[in-house]
Amino acid sequence: MTIRSRIFTVVGVVIAAAFLQTLVVLRVEGRRADSTASLNRAIWRIENQAELGRLIVELDASQRDDGSGAWAASPDAGDRLWGLYERAAALLPQSLESPESRRELAAVDALMREWRRTPAGDEKAALMGRIRAEFDRFEIRERRRFGDELNKVNSQSLQATLLTLGIPAFAIVMLLVLVAFVARILLDPLRAIANSAQKISGGTFDVSLPRESRDEIGDLVRAFREMITAVQRRQREVTEALAREREQSEISAALRAKAEREHRRLQATVDTVPVALVIVDAETGRIALQNRAAGALIGCEPDDHAAREAYWRAFSVTTRDGAPLDVRAWGAGRVLQGQTIVGEELVVRHPDGREIPILVSAAPLREDDGRISGAVAAFQDITSLYEVDRLKSEFVSIVSHELRTPLTSIKGALQLLIDGRLASDPDHAMLLTVALSNTERLVRIINDILDISKIEAGKLELNARPHAVDEVVKQSLQNVEPIAHGALVSLKADIEPGVPAVHVDLDRVIQVVVNLLSNALKAAPPRSEVTLAARRAGGGFVALSVTDRGRGIAPDKIGLLFQKFQQLDGANTRRARGTGLGLAIVKALVEMQGGKVSVESAVGSGSTFTVTVPVAG
Amino acid sequence: MKVLLAEDEPDVQLIARLSLKKAGFTVVTVGNGAEALERIAEERPDAILLDWMMPDMDGYETCKRLKADPATASIPVIFLTARVQEAEVARAMALGAVGCIGKPFDALALGKQVLELLEPR
Repeated sequence: MTIRSRIFTVVGVVIAAAFLQTLVVLRVEGRRADSTASLNRAIWRIENQAELGRLIVELDASQRDDGSGAWAASPDAGDRLWGLYERAAALLPQSLESPESRRELAAVDALMREWRRTPAGDEKAALMGRIRAEFDRFEIRERRRFGDELNKVNSQSLQATLLTLGIPAFAIVMLLVLVAFVARILLDPLRAIANSAQKISGGTFDVSLPRESRDEIGDLVRAFREMITAVQRRQREVTEALAREREQSEISAALRAKAEREHRRLQATVDTVPVALVIVDAETGRIALQNRAAGALIGCEPDDHAAREAYWRAFSVTTRDGAPLDVRAWGAGRVLQGQTIVGEELVVRHPDGREIPILVSAAPLREDDGRISGAVAAFQDITSLYEVDRLKSEFVSIVSHELRTPLTSIKGALQLLIDGRLASDPDHAMLLTVALSNTERLVRIINDILDISKIEAGKLELNARPHAVDEVVKQSLQNVEPIAHGALVSLKADIEPGVPAVHVDLDRVIQVVVNLLSNALKAAPPRSEVTLAARRAGGGFVALSVTDRGRGIAPDKIGLLFQKFQQLDGANTRRARGTGLGLAIVKALVEMQGGKVSVESAVGSGSTFTVTVPVAG
Repeated sequence: MKVLLAEDEPDVQLIARLSLKKAGFTVVTVGNGAEALERIAEERPDAILLDWMMPDMDGYETCKRLKADPATASIPVIFLTARVQEAEVARAMALGAVGCIGKPFDALALGKQVLELLEPR
C-alpha cells in the first residue's frame, strides 16, 4: 500500500470520525432535550402532588374544628376547596407516567370522595387518617421515582457530555496516530536515509537502511540503496583508477627518472668524447643533445635551444673546396634518409674568419620500428691533422730539397767521372756505375715521396695538352730501355692503328707508363717479353696496357696493389725494391686526369695493368 | 756561348760548371743573385742559370730585377731548382724565364737541356 493511500485512509478515518461525532452530537442533543422535558414534567407533577397533598390537609382541617361535619369556615370555602381538590386530582394523573402511580392516586381519590360523603365523626376522621397514610405512601413513592428520574436524566447528560467530548478525543488520537504513522513511515526512513547519506558523505558505506516497504519510501530506500551501490562501485572504480593512475605515475616517474639518469649518463659520456657530437631530432630539427666538444668547436656553450640554434646558424659550412653547404639539408637529405656518412671533410667557417676543418661522420638513429627519429653526427676538429699534414708536406719538401742538393752533386760527379773514363780500372768504373744507379734510385724514391705528398696535399697540378699516343709510348719505352736491357727482357710496342691523340700531362703520363713498365720488367722472367699496348677504350678514352709474363698476382692481393706502402713481395724474397708508392701514384695521376686503373692477372701466366687516359678534343 | 751560373752550393756549382764546360759553354759562376746582378753588365752572358734558393738574394728576386732592367731584360733566364712543382714553374715562366731544370740535373745532359730551352728563341 502506498503512503498516499495510507494517508488517504487515515484522513478518511478522521473524516468518518468527524461525521460520527456530528451524528452522536445530534443524537445526544435530542436525548438531552427529551431529558429536560421529562424533568420539567416531573417537577410539574411534584408540584401538583404537593398541591394535592396541601389541599387534602386543608380539607381535613376544614372539617375537624366543629366536629359537625360542616365546613369549619364556611360551606362556600369548603366547596371551593373541594373544587380545587377535584381539579388538582384530575390534573395530576395526566402528569403521572406509571400506571401504578395512577392506580394509587385513583385509590386515594376514591377514599377522598368517600370521605366527602361520610359525615363528620370518628369514621370520617379514621377515613382521613387512611387517606393521609395512603397519600403519604404515594407521595414518598413518587418522590423516590422523581429522584430516579432525576438520576436518569443526570446520567444521560453525563453520557452525552462524554460522547461529545469522546469524539474529538478520538479524532485527536487518530491525528496523533496519523502523525505517528507519517513519522514512522515517512520521517523515520527519511531520517535513516539522511543519516546514511551523512555517513556516506563521511566516507562510510556501512549503513543500515530501512526495510524496503512496498511504497514510495520503499522506492526511495531501493533507489537510495542502488545509489549507494552505484556510488560504492563508482568510488571503487575511482579508487582503482586512482591507484592505477598512481601506479602509472609512479612507473612513469621511475621511467622518467631512469630516462633522466640515462640522459645524464649519456651526456656525461658524450661530454668526455673529444669529438663534437650532436644528436638532432628528426621531427623538430632541433639539437636534442650535444657535448662539450661541440660547444668548443663552435666556440660557445649555450644554455637554451634558441641560443644554440642561433649559434649553429652563425657559422657557415663549406666543402673542402670552399663550396657553401647547408649542413642541415646536407644531413637531412642523406642521414635522415638512412644513409651513414663516414669521415667526410668539411670546413666550418666562423663569422670571425676562423676556419676549422672537420671530419664529419653521421648515422641515423632508428626507433624500434625502424623509423628514423633523428641523427647523430660527429664532427672531429682536424685542424691538428691538417697542421700535421702541412708540417709533413713542408718537412717532406724541405727534406727532399735538402736531399736533392747533395744528390745533384753526387750524381753529377759520378756521371762526369764515368763519362770522362777517369777510372781506368774496370772495377772502379763498375763501382762508379753502381754508385750512380743507386743515386738515381735515391732520386726516384725522393721523387715518389714528393709526388705522393703533393697528391695527398692536393697540390699536384697537371698541365694537360694534346699529345700523340706514339710520343707517350716512344718516350716511355726509351726511359726503361736500359732496365730492360739489363733484365734481358725485350720490350714490344703494340699501338692500334689510328688511335687518337690523348689529352694528358705528358710528363705525368710517361711517369705512369714508366712505372708500370718498371714493375713489369721487375716481374718478367729473363728472355720474356713486356708489351706496351695502346687501344681505343671507348667512352672517349684510350687504354694503355702493360703486359708481362711473370708470376702473376694472387686475386686476394690485387685489392692491395694500389694502396700506399704496399709491396706484394716480402722484404726478404722480393726481387724488386721500391717505396711501395709507385702504383698509388699511378692511380692518383690517372684518376686526376679522369682515367681509371685496372689489373688482370693470373698466377703463373702474368699480369696486365691498364690505365685509361682521355682522348684529346 | 757564355752562361752566368748563380748557385750558392759550391759542390753543385762545380758539377754544373763542369757539365756546361763539357758541353762547350763558357761558364761564369757566382754565389748569389746580388753577385749575379753585379757581374752581368761586365760579363754580358748569352743566358743566365739561376738557382731558386740562394742567400741574400734568391733567384726569384734576381730574375725580377733582371727583367725590370731593360739592359738585361732580353737575356734568357733558366731556373735551376729542386722545386720543380708546377706552381713554381708557372711562377718562373710568369717572371719571364724560359724554363726550369730540376735538380738533380743530368750532368751529361745539362748543356743539351740549356740549349733546348734557348732554341725556340
